[in-house]
Parts: sequence; structure tokens; C-alpha cells
Amino acid sequence: MDKAASILIIDDEPQIRSAVRNALREVADHIGEAATGAEGLNAAAAERPELVVLDLGLPDSAGVDVCRELRRLLASPIIVLSARHSEDEKVLLLNAGADDYVTKPFSVLELAARARAQLRRARTAAPATPAPITLHGLTVDPVTRRVDRDGRQIHLTPIEWQILSTLVSAGGRTLTHQQIFDAVWSRQFGSPQQYLRVHITNLRRKIENDPASPRIVITEPGVGYRADVMR
Amino acid sequence: MTSTISTHSGTPPLGGRLRRVLHRVDEIRLHVSRPALVWLFWIVILAAATLAMFSVQGRIEQAHVVLIYLLIVLGASASAGRALGFALAFVAFFLIDYLFQQPYYDFFNDKPLDFFVLVAFLTTAIVATQLLARAQEQAREARARAIEVTSLSQLASETLNVGRAEDALVKMVDVIQSTLGVASCTIWPWMPDRGFGESITRDGIDVRRRDPDTLVHRAAERGEPLSLAVNGALGAEAAAPGTRELFLPLGVKTGVVGVLVLSDDKPIVFNPPKQRFLAALTYYAALGIERAQLVREAEHAAALREADKMKDNLLASVSHDLRTPLTTIKALAQTAALRGDTAAAAIEEQADRLTRFVGDLLDLSRMKGDAFRAALDINTAEDLIGAAQRQAQGLLSEGRTIRTVVDLESPALVGRFDFTHALRIVGNLLENALRYTKPGGSVELGVRRDGDWLVFTVADRGPGIPATETDRIFEAFNRHADATPDVGRAGLGLSIARRLAEIQQGSLVYEPRPGGGSVFVLRLPAVDLEGA
Repeated sequence: MDKAASILIIDDEPQIRSAVRNALREVADHIGEAATGAEGLNAAAAERPELVVLDLGLPDSAGVDVCRELRRLLASPIIVLSARHSEDEKVLLLNAGADDYVTKPFSVLELAARARAQLRRARTAAPATPAPITLHGLTVDPVTRRVDRDGRQIHLTPIEWQILSTLVSAGGRTLTHQQIFDAVWSRQFGSPQQYLRVHITNLRRKIENDPASPRIVITEPGVGYRADVMR
Repeated sequence: MTSTISTHSGTPPLGGRLRRVLHRVDEIRLHVSRPALVWLFWIVILAAATLAMFSVQGRIEQAHVVLIYLLIVLGASASAGRALGFALAFVAFFLIDYLFQQPYYDFFNDKPLDFFVLVAFLTTAIVATQLLARAQEQAREARARAIEVTSLSQLASETLNVGRAEDALVKMVDVIQSTLGVASCTIWPWMPDRGFGESITRDGIDVRRRDPDTLVHRAAERGEPLSLAVNGALGAEAAAPGTRELFLPLGVKTGVVGVLVLSDDKPIVFNPPKQRFLAALTYYAALGIERAQLVREAEHAAALREADKMKDNLLASVSHDLRTPLTTIKALAQTAALRGDTAAAAIEEQADRLTRFVGDLLDLSRMKGDAFRAALDINTAEDLIGAAQRQAQGLLSEGRTIRTVVDLESPALVGRFDFTHALRIVGNLLENALRYTKPGGSVELGVRRDGDWLVFTVADRGPGIPATETDRIFEAFNRHADATPDVGRAGLGLSIARRLAEIQQGSLVYEPRPGGGSVFVLRLPAVDLEGA
């Protein structure tokens, strides 16, 4: 994969910026840095980076506000660096437009993998006729709405299909429970929404080789789900 | 220390005003008109009417005479009361008999019909007088009550709206003392669990914790009024004769909140209006104390909230400050490992251990501050098992495996629990189990439904836990004596796990595994879904 033209790191800690820079050295030609939210927004507007790595603990503004403002400025993916204990914050950020998050202390390999996945997803413009996607032996065809595993067709209920196609078309991004609700049930209210986790379990039983150890639909605890189409 | 609060304003003191009101109420209530002029007036009227009727004696009907006298009796009793009415009725009775019934000038002739008229007259006059007098008394009582009610509502609004709850109590004491005219009045606020604190007099609040009289204690604890007579005799009634000290418990719906003490050099005597007034005043005083207590509790709760907020901020800050260098160390170690540094893996492992340790300590601190909340949602057991297994992948080394026992044929097992908390528990149990599993061995992770519970089990073939230790393994900082010294944990994991299970209305217990090893059993509430 080609390197990205530029990545912007927004973090007030020089050591973290240095660690992220080291992790992403192989991913981009140019890595910009900003120590505050305001600096970061200025740099984002000026440099138009292909990817932003945003730390939540900024001295001058709330991470979620910076995230929202970045999303207004850019279409580029945003990866958030967050503390472990704040699932709510992750949800807030994903709902505010972040594409992924990495928990501190993070693995540089994982951060690099996620950055690559986000860049790949951003560069792959949605084709006019979406092609079938294959992951871990499962083929999902968005046009025919057909799902095959190892050459055998699998029958999904309409809700299961909606969930699977929503996750797959997000290109490996973590979707919050709310985002999945909105996509699958749109404006419906009431009890079906609370059964999302039950539908996911039923879906896994149909599409996974080992439903008790899923590899296609991954749970992001306390946050939501993602389809493992990154790697 | 005594804090003095002024209870006087531009208007006359409330106590003085109320004392005048009580006096007026007394006057109204005891009022019976006996002015000599009114009596004289009605006697003259009676005499004049008698003379006038006497001048036409023989030509006037007896019925007219009776009616005229009846009107005079009613008029007299309406303006001067029952006594004049009765007096005039008897005089008229004899006058009718003597002057207007034949034979004239003779008492009690033997005509039964005439005698019946006389008796009917007297009865009518007396009954009418009596009814009139009673109606007038009721009207007076109503007026007195209206004045009392107005005064009490004024008292309530003036004392309870004085500002600070404590100031209201000082004002209340002042009002009680001056209204009832006693030498001293003290309020002792009381709480069953804390006893007496300060005392309140008209001079202010004495915050020194001096202990009140034992009788004050008794009145508060029993919730019954006590009186101490001049001769030292103890009474149970509020207005026992010869009382010089009164101890009145101040009660609200929830119980006694204080004691009102009244004392004087001379016997305390209260008439009924004053007694009623006192009852109302004690009620207001009780409300005042309750208000002060509620305000104090609200302030205390606000202070606790503030402290909690500060603690959260501190923890967030400490968490951030500790994780930043740990993140740097981990990142640098990984970079070094990629360059071929063989020692880097050890640095990363130590950084991870320290991260967990910091996390556990912070969580324990938050738990003690009751900052852990559970978001109870519908979740499936399979999802939890899958996530736990995925999380534990990094811990599998030297051929160790995790074997899951999940029934994939029956409908999914559903429960109501906090997914993140439950995953933390299962993750912790898996980590422990893997640590005590020999290379190549496996840990069993299973789930089943048992009545209203989802039962998750994590079983290993490790050394197990001696029976003497099983109760202690869930205590913080406890690690059993046989634990490998280099496991690098602070012994917080199981303590946190059990607490997390409990806040989800579940439980976590240890059981020895048949054939050797340990089984940790996590129970979480199961849910039956309809139409899912």
C-alpha cells in the first residue's frame, strides 16, 4: 500500500506524539504535530491531512468538541487515543464523527494497523456498483443481498442482513450501538432495539465458523461492534 | 460560643403582639355583658310594658300579654345574657299570674288552663334564652378561634420565613417566651443517632456541646411531655398543677426532633387558649428544627458531591498522568523490539503489569467512593464468552488453550447485565486460571442457565485453593501463601470482580474442582425474551 501524504497528531504530551510518530513512520510521508485543540484545528485546515490521531486529554478544549470540529473541516478518518475506563467517552466520540479509537497504553503495531485500515477504507471510494466482500470465508454481496459461506448460501432474516451489511459497509469501523440502531431500525422506536445483541448472536451462529469465538463480527465492549474487514 | 441574632425589626416584636392577641381572645371568650345600665334599661322596659298593659287590664288578651313579655325576655337575654333573661322570665311569670289572670291580684289560681299558659310561657322563655345564649357563646368562640388562627398563621409566616433555618428557631423561642410570659425558654434539637448538639434560646444558638438536663433526655427518648413541680414532684402531663418547668418533646411525622423547655420561678399556668397556642408553637418549632436539619443535610450532601467530583477529577488526572509515561514506555519498548532488542519484550511486559496495577488501584479507589455504576442491558452469554476469549488471546502461551462450553443448538442465553463489567470479571478469571495452568493445559470457560441465573464457570487444573483460604481470596490485597511470587499482581482482581458481580445483582464464588483445580462461578440475572 502507498504511504499517506500526511498524518496529523494532536496530543499535548510530547512523548506520546513521539511514540505515535514512531508507530506511523511507515504509514505516512509527512507527520504533523499539534499540542492543543486550537493548533490541531488550524493545522487540519491548513494541511488537510489524510488521517488525524486525536488525543482526548487536551489542555484547551474537550476532545469531543475538537472531534466534531475536525469532522466539519475534513472527511479524513480520525483515530482517537482514549483512556481505558471511559467507554462512554468512546461512544460519544464515535457518535461525534471519530472513525476508530485506540486505548492507552496502546500497541504501536495495533495503532499502525488501524491507521492503515482507516486509510485504505478512506481511499477506496464507494463504487457505483458495490462488489461482493469476502472475509474469513464469508462472501457478502450487497447487490444481490446474498451471503455465502464456503460456497453455501446462508439465509438471513431482514434484520440480520441489515446488521451485517451495515457493519460490512462501514469498512471495519467500529459502529456504536446507537449507530447500528439508527442504521437498522431507522425511525422505529420500541423494544426491537434492545435486542440488537440477541440479533448479533443469532447472526454469528449463521455466519461464523465458531460462534463462541467470532472472527467476522467483533464486539467492542461497552461501545458497539465492527466487522473485521481491516486486515 | 453563642451567636446572637437580632429578633427585632421596625414593627413591634411578634411575641408582644401575640400576647395582646391572647389577652383579647381571653376577653372575647370570657365576655358576659353585665353592665348595670343594660339591666336597668330592660327592667324599665318591663315595668313600662307592665304599666301600659295594666292600664288596659281586662281589655287585653292574655295571649298578647304573654307575647309582649316573651319579646322583652328575648330582647334582654340577647343584649345582656342568660341571667337577665332568666330573671325577667320569672318576674314576668309572676306578673302575668298576679295582674293579668283572673281572679286578679292572686297567685296560682286553680284554673288548670291558665296555669298551663303560665308554664308554657316560662318554658318558652327559658328555652329561648338558653338557645340564644348558646348561639352567642358559639359566635364568641368562633371569633376567638378566627383571631387565634390568624395569629398562628402570622406566627408561622414570620418565623419560618425569617431567613436561615437557625434564625427562625431563635425567633420562635423569642415568640414562645414572650407570648406565654415565662422566664425562660430553650429548644434542644435532637437526633436519635447523634443526640443533642446545640441549644437555642432567645439570645441565639449556643453551639457548645453541653449536655442538657436528664429530663430533657427522657422527654426526647420517650417522646412524652414531662413537668417538674415547684415541690420537685415529676409529672407526666404538660400542665400539672404547680409546674415550674416543662419539657415538651417536639415531634414531626418521622419522630422526635427536639425538646422545648419552659421554666419559671412561679408555677406555670396556661389557660385553654394558651395551651392550644403552645401546642401550635411546639409544632412550628418542630418544623423549624426539621427544616434546619434538612438544610444541614442538603449542605452536607452538596459537600459530599463536591468531594466526589474532586476525587473523580483527581483520579482522572492521576490516571492520565500515569498512563502517559506508561504509553511512552510501551511504545518505545515495542519499537525497540522491532529493531531486534531482545530485552524490549520484558520492558513491555512490565509496563503492562504496571498499567494493570494502576488500573486496579484506581478502580478500587473508585469502588470505595461508590463511583462504580452498572449499565444493565440485555446481553447474550455467547457474546460475552466470545469477547472474553478474544481478549485473552494475548495471554495464551506455551500451548495453553481456552476451551469453551456453550450450547449452540438451543436459543441464545440472554441476561441483563453490564457487558463491560461482566467481561472484566470473566477476563480476570481467565487470566488467573491461565496463570495457574501448566503449559499445554486448557482452561474451561462455560455458561449454562440455572433458574433465574446465567451461570458462567471458569475452571482450571491448577493447584486449587486450600479450604482455609477460600473465604479470603476475595479480600483486597490478599494473595494466598502458595501464589507464585512473581505473578506481579496486587491481589485486587478478585476483590474488584466480586464487587462488579454484586453491583449487577449477581454473585461470584469459588468452588474446588472435582479432580483437582479451581472453579470460579459467576451468576448474573437471566432474562426470558418474548418475540425477540
